[in-house]
Order: sequence, then structure tokens, then C-alpha cells
Amino acid sequence: MSTAPPGSGDPDTATGSDEPQSPGPDDPGAALGPILVCRRWVDLRPSVDPLTGAVGNDPRTSGASAADDAALEWALQAAEAWGTSVVAVTVGPPGSQAVLRDALAAGAARAIQVDLGSSGDAASVAAEITAVARALTARMVLCGDMGVDRGSGAVPALVAAAMGARQALGLVDLAIDPTEPGVVTGWRRLDGGRRQHLRAQAPFVASVEGVSTRLRRASLVGVLRSGGAPIEVVVPAGPTGGRVPSWMPASTGPGRPRTHVVDGPNPHEPAWRRVILLTGAGTDRPALRVVHAEPVDAAHQLIAALADWGEWE
Amino acid sequence: MSAGAVGSPGAPGTPTAARTAAGTSAGAGIAAPAARSTPAATAGGPGATLPVAFEDRMATVDFRVSPQAHITVDGDACRGCTTRACVTACPANLFVPTADGGILFNYEQCFECGTCYLVCDTAGAVTWRYPEGGHGVAYRRS
Amino acid sequence: MTAAGATRTAAEAARAAGTPPGPPTAAPAASAAATGLVPAGDFDAVVVGAGPAGSAAALVLARSGKRVCLLERGPYPGSKNMYGGVVYPRILDGLLLDWWEDAPVQRWVTRRATMTLTDDQALTIDFRTESWGRPPYNGATALRPEFDAWLAAKAVDAGAVLVTSTTATGLLRDRPGGAVTGVSTDRPDGDLRAGIVVACDGVNSFLAKQAGLHGPVDPANYTLGAKEVLAVPARTIEERFGLGPDQGADFEIIGCTGAIPGGGFLYTNRDSLAIGVVLHLPALATAGVRPEELIAGLKAHPAVAPLVAGGELVEYSAHLIPEGGYDMMPALAGAGILVAGDAAAMCLAAGIWLEGVNFAIASGMAAGEAAAAALAAGDVSERGLAGYRRRLQDSFVLQDHRRLRHAPHLLLSERVQQRYPQLACDIVEDLFTVTNPEPKPGMRRLVRRQVTASGVRLRDLAADTWRALRTFG
Repeated sequence: MSTAPPGSGDPDTATGSDEPQSPGPDDPGAALGPILVCRRWVDLRPSVDPLTGAVGNDPRTSGASAADDAALEWALQAAEAWGTSVVAVTVGPPGSQAVLRDALAAGAARAIQVDLGSSGDAASVAAEITAVARALTARMVLCGDMGVDRGSGAVPALVAAAMGARQALGLVDLAIDPTEPGVVTGWRRLDGGRRQHLRAQAPFVASVEGVSTRLRRASLVGVLRSGGAPIEVVVPAGPTGGRVPSWMPASTGPGRPRTHVVDGPNPHEPAWRRVILLTGAGTDRPALRVVHAEPVDAAHQLIAALADWGEWE
Repeated sequence: MSAGAVGSPGAPGTPTAARTAAGTSAGAGIAAPAARSTPAATAGGPGATLPVAFEDRMATVDFRVSPQAHITVDGDACRGCTTRACVTACPANLFVPTADGGILFNYEQCFECGTCYLVCDTAGAVTWRYPEGGHGVAYRRS
Repeated sequence: MTAAGATRTAAEAARAAGTPPGPPTAAPAASAAATGLVPAGDFDAVVVGAGPAGSAAALVLARSGKRVCLLERGPYPGSKNMYGGVVYPRILDGLLLDWWEDAPVQRWVTRRATMTLTDDQALTIDFRTESWGRPPYNGATALRPEFDAWLAAKAVDAGAVLVTSTTATGLLRDRPGGAVTGVSTDRPDGDLRAGIVVACDGVNSFLAKQAGLHGPVDPANYTLGAKEVLAVPARTIEERFGLGPDQGADFEIIGCTGAIPGGGFLYTNRDSLAIGVVLHLPALATAGVRPEELIAGLKAHPAVAPLVAGGELVEYSAHLIPEGGYDMMPALAGAGILVAGDAAAMCLAAGIWLEGVNFAIASGMAAGEAAAAALAAGDVSERGLAGYRRRLQDSFVLQDHRRLRHAPHLLLSERVQQRYPQLACDIVEDLFTVTNPEPKPGMRRLVRRQVTASGVRLRDLAADTWRALRTFG
């Protein structure tokens, strides 16, 4: 851990969706469980046909993103500090076993591939990862913050929601204290160059940016062992029931608010009056309202306000 | 004679700034042979492929850049060098002469061919090894 | 995510995986050991470099039951490799049954042309045959990242362990100056011990140099190849070059490299063209011309421009070629080490013949056989490995190189590079220029006139002809 970024005071506590903020008294040490690290096989240098826009994928240029590699490195460091192990999981086609072998070579103890075929929307992927985490009794999940193929970036949040875990997403740096198993301290970007300093205790889902650290170079022994190491393959029965929580937008496309019909100014009004009407200068605005709410409730209130203003359907 | 001969107009894909710098700093030693008779300068006739800027040329190649440089250049040795063979011979144009007579080098877009240390006539001025495994150039269509 | 969904998925997971994903073992090390794989160092042979030579050597060694590790510094085999564009894979007949069924071939070469260029003239000798387009074929254009990966996969299928993204950094020896017992790599705990090391680490072969097998390195023994791959639709290629759907053309070009001895090439891939130049290093060092400028000049030549028109650059690449031939070859074997492929300078650049991959494969196969025999006999000393050179001497590898040992000097000479292309083109131009109302000159007078005009002395011309006959005869 390098120097603390500016603006780091007392760390905020990472928010959980439905678990109490205070850690259970039965937590530390032995009941920690393995650290689950999510990896995604993606073409890091995709080719795009300039005429059709078709994206070509090449296994030779495919692998894990820098963010996924950083997540693996943090997971390995945490596991070494706390005396637990790392399990790597990927949801993807058989080719994605390559990123699991990389994880095994670097020091992961087990690797699980969930073969979901091509129907891997964020909710289904999150559902599969949550299922694996439950089966492993894993209470700490680490992910890269965003796929290089401009995925939704929603999987970590959905996993946290489904696990009922705290979330610390988009971290640019992490601190792992060997004396505090199951607790990570992290920093993430805020607007205006500020950083949020937060602290999460298991169960948590953390996602990290690729710049946060660099994956260690796997030892030769690790690489040789990983070549023939078994990878557990999970084939779900069918399209899974990963359900997006009601408070999350189902679509991750660009927001397109409805157009507003604005009446033209009355030509009989004097010019200064028309200017005021058009610009809204001098009109009364709703008073600034400060709301204290739980995250879910806050989200509901935000959505209600947006709907009120006609920005949300 | 130096700058004019080196920066011969219209040579496609030639980073003019770097080449001009070579002429002004190293003088006639480099500039003389550059007044060449190759038809390169006349490229671009009807039906010819379009000339490609050097940056675009290198952008067609996949380089997985290692954080550690695999080339080192002994600046003191270069200051006494008059041939500067690496500057024109390197197919990736990684070596650029500086105004003070030294050589500025890049390693990121290296083809790992070995031309630089073979053409260098000052023993030990360029040391070159393979980059860390998994890094460096990765051809796809060659 | 509902609880029911999770339960079902987890149950399904357990069933599919065969082992329930229960709590994992606490210690990662114990779990890794439980995978039951060979520990590092437990190899009979280490082959460095998964190019054509290395993969062939590993394939032969694995087939003879040896535990072999194939080291590759690139992220995938072929990622560091580039060549002109044609491979002559008949050597694979003895290695892989019906190799052409699944080899990643772009086009089968059915047309070969040799072009002699001056600034505004071109003299082309053009040959085509349909028989090269049928099994067992002759030459093929192929992309090295595909071809090398394919051959390496064959070695892996035979049982070799391929380790990519790992650079061999040096040799391990049983004692200082003693026999080679493995290689060190750039990975943590990276020492890899084995009974024998086969160095197929390419033209720069730091391993062969470290083993003391190479003499002093002379830039005059090397050329630089630089090439552009230009995307052109397959139909357009077939129309421009007069080819059928799977047929390819192979153009060797002389007289396109200005003051630098060398040559050029133009090959047809499926939907791209490979065009480039080969440049003698000592002249490149002093010429003050950049390689890509020479390629641009070649592409702009009136005889070449229509063939490559509209091609979009999709990859630029460069690589060294060991062009010194037989006389620059290193000692091929030392105690515990063999050298094959480009690392042993087994690349034939003899004018009309430009071959390398076939020599690499053949030398790799010979190295694999010799290494397997030496391991079986328990003698990997220099004497125990002498079978390698014997095998190469009995095959085309050393026979071709020895026969053509003087070709590089002849072909890179000033007259062949600078004078003869102009002379040949001028003679042919005179021959076909109708000079009416003057009568046609006699052939002999015409040649003599042009030779005189070119400044080539008849004595030199006769000497070069004699050398050429002796070299290629």
C-alpha cells in the first residue's frame, strides 16, 4: 500500500443492501471462507470490420483484462495475508478456461467455469456467480470493475445485491491488513478529483480498476502445474433466472429522456417578460430538499423525483 | 547540404522531424547518402496505394508493452558516433538523434529483430535482449 | 436472484462438475500439488522456441516417448515470427499424415515469377503449373502466427508440454564450462532442468551464442526483411494475378533496393498481399534509407503498382534473416545442446531459391531424432550427439547449403545487384524495340553494344557466369 491519497479521512463504511452494518460477532478467522475472484475471457484487441461493423474475436488476442488481473492479484494478496485460498470463476464458453489457467498458474487453488453458452446477460452471470459463491461459502468476491468490451459493469453490484453483501466498487487502491481478516480498505474516484475512502467487512463484493495493481508473474512451476490442472465445469440446466432488482434499470443502453412540449411565448407579452419566461429566470424553484434514507429507499426517491420531472418512464 | 538532402520531400511515411534532426546534428556523415536514387520519393502515382504515416504503420501491429525496457543505449558512446546506423536501419524507427548528439530510444514498438545491435559499430553502445515473456510484438497476419 | 434459483443452479453445478463445490482446501499449495502434474525440471528435453524447428523437434521427441517441454517467449507460437510468405511443406510428408488436410494454408503456389526491375523497366520470367495446386503440392503461402501455432499444436497432441510467455534467459550447466543441463527462464523459480536442450531460439540465438557454438557475429551474414501485409479482396487477387480460388503467386524481385544489396518479394495470401524487401545489413547501416521507404518505392514501381493498388496496410513487420549460408553456421552440437533452424543459420537465400521453414522443420526433426537417440543411449556429450550432423549431412539440409555455399556472396555482389538488372533490361528493350527504317541488329552485336554501354567488363561477365554455373550447376 502506497501513501494514502489526498482527502482520506475516516473511511466510510461500504453500504450493504440488506445486511446490518455491524459485523456479526462470530466472524473472524476460521469462518472467513475462500476468496472468489471473477474473471472474464474477452478479446483485448478485437477487430472491427469497417464496412459491416462486425466485431471479430480471436482467441490469440483474448484473455483477462487488466482490471480482472488486478482483482486476482488483490485476492492472492488477501488470501496470503489471511491464510485462506482463492477460487477463480468465469462465466463463459470453453475457451474462457484460458483465464482460469492463468489464475491457477498465479496461485489460485481452484477454478470453476460456468458454461452459460451465449445467453450471458449481466443478471444471469451474476446469478451464476452468486450460486458458486454460496456453494463455496465464499463471503468475499473480487472483480475487475469493467470489461474492456464495454459491458454493463453491473455484475459486481448485482452479485452484491443477490448475496446481500456490502459493495466497494471501482476501487483504485486497496489496503489489506493481516491483522483484520475479512476487512478491506479501499479508495475510489469521486468527481472533481476527490477520493472516497471506504472500508468493507465480509461479506463484501469489491471491484477494482486495472491501474490499482499489477498481477504477479506466475512461477514456472505454477505454469507447468496449471497446464493440466482440473477445471470444474458447471453447466446450468437452461437460461437461468437471474432477476434484475426492481430498482435497477433493466436496460443498460444510453438514456433517452422523452421530449418535452414547451409552449411558445405569447407574442402579446412585452419582450422582457418573454425572455424571463423562456429562460426561467426569477421563477420559484422547489426548495433544496435533504433526504436521509437507506440506499434502497434513496434510490426509490430519486426515481420518483426523476419521474416527477418527466425524466424517467 | 545536410537538412535539404535529408528531408527530401514526399518520402512517404518518413517522420520528417526526426530525420531533419539527424541531418542538423550529425552533419554530412549522415546526410550525404540520403540524396538517394530510389523511387520512394515519387510514390503516390495513379493506382498506387496511399502512403501511410509512420504512426499509422506501427498502429497496425500489436505490441504488448512490458514495463521494463529490453533495450538500453549508452548515451556517452553514442555522442562519439558518426555513423548513427541505428537511426535509419531500425525498421521500427526507435532511435532518434537528439540535439546534444545523443540518441533517444524507444523500446515499446520494437519488432525484436536485432538489427540495432548488429549495425551498431560501437561495441556495447546498444544492449538488447528479448523482452519479458508474453510481452513485446505479437504478429497476427505476417 | 431468488433463493430457489441459486439452489437449483448450485445443485446443477455439483452434478455437472462431478465433485460438489464444497469448501476448498485451506492451503493453496496443497491443492496445487493435488493436481498430480510433473514438477518442473522433470523433463528429458527442453526445446527452446516453438517455431517450425522447435515444434518439429518437440514432436519427434514426444513421439519417441520422451518428456519434452516446448518453451515459447511469445504469448502464442508464431507471435514473434515473420517471413516472406511461402513455405515448402513437403518435408512434413515424413512427419504428419495428410498434413495438407488441416494445415492453415492461404494459397497453393502455382505461379512463380522472377522480376528484374530498373527505374522504369521490368523483365519477368514467369512460370505456372497446375500440378502444384494438387496433392502432394509444392509450396504454399501461409501466415506464420497460424502455421507455427498449428505445428506446435501437433507437438502438444503428441505429448509435448507447451509453455508460452516464457523467455529462456540462459543456459544451466552441471559445472562452469560443463555440459548444458537446462535453461533458466524469466519466471520466478524459473530454472528448467532437462537431459538435453534443443535451441531453436531463432536468428539471434542467444543460447547458441552463450554455449559458445557461434563464431564472432558479423553483420555481413544477415539481411533484414521488412514487409507489409495489404488487405485486398480475394476475387481481386485472383483477377490481377490470373489465379484460381486456391491458387497463389510468388514473385521474387531484384533491382528494387537502390544502393543496398538485397531483393524484394510479392506473395498472395487468401485476401491479402505480402510485399516487402530484404536488405543486406552492412549497406543498410550506411545507406541512410529507411526500410519502409524502399517498400514504398517498390509499391510505386509501374510494374508492381497495379498489382497492389488499393491494398490497405493491415500489418507491418520486420525480422532478421541469417543469409550467410553454410559458412556462417555455428557448431551444431555441444555437450547437452543442439541448435536447429534459424539459430543454426539454416535458411537458404540463394537467389531463385528462398527457403527457410522447410530447413527449420527438417533440422528440428533431425535434432529431435538425434536427441532421442542420445537420451536412449545415455550419452548427451558432444560425441553422443554427433548423429545430428550426420543426419543433416545425409539430408538436403546440409547438402543444399554446402552446394550453394557461395551463392550469398555472388548474389549480394555489386555487379549482380546494380549492373546486371539494368543490362538485362536494356538488352531485352533493344531486342524488342522496332528500329525501322533501320534493319534489326544481330543479337551478338546488340549484346556487345549494351555490355559496353553498361561498363561491365567482358572478363567480369565471363567470370560471374562461370561462378554462377559453378554455384548453381
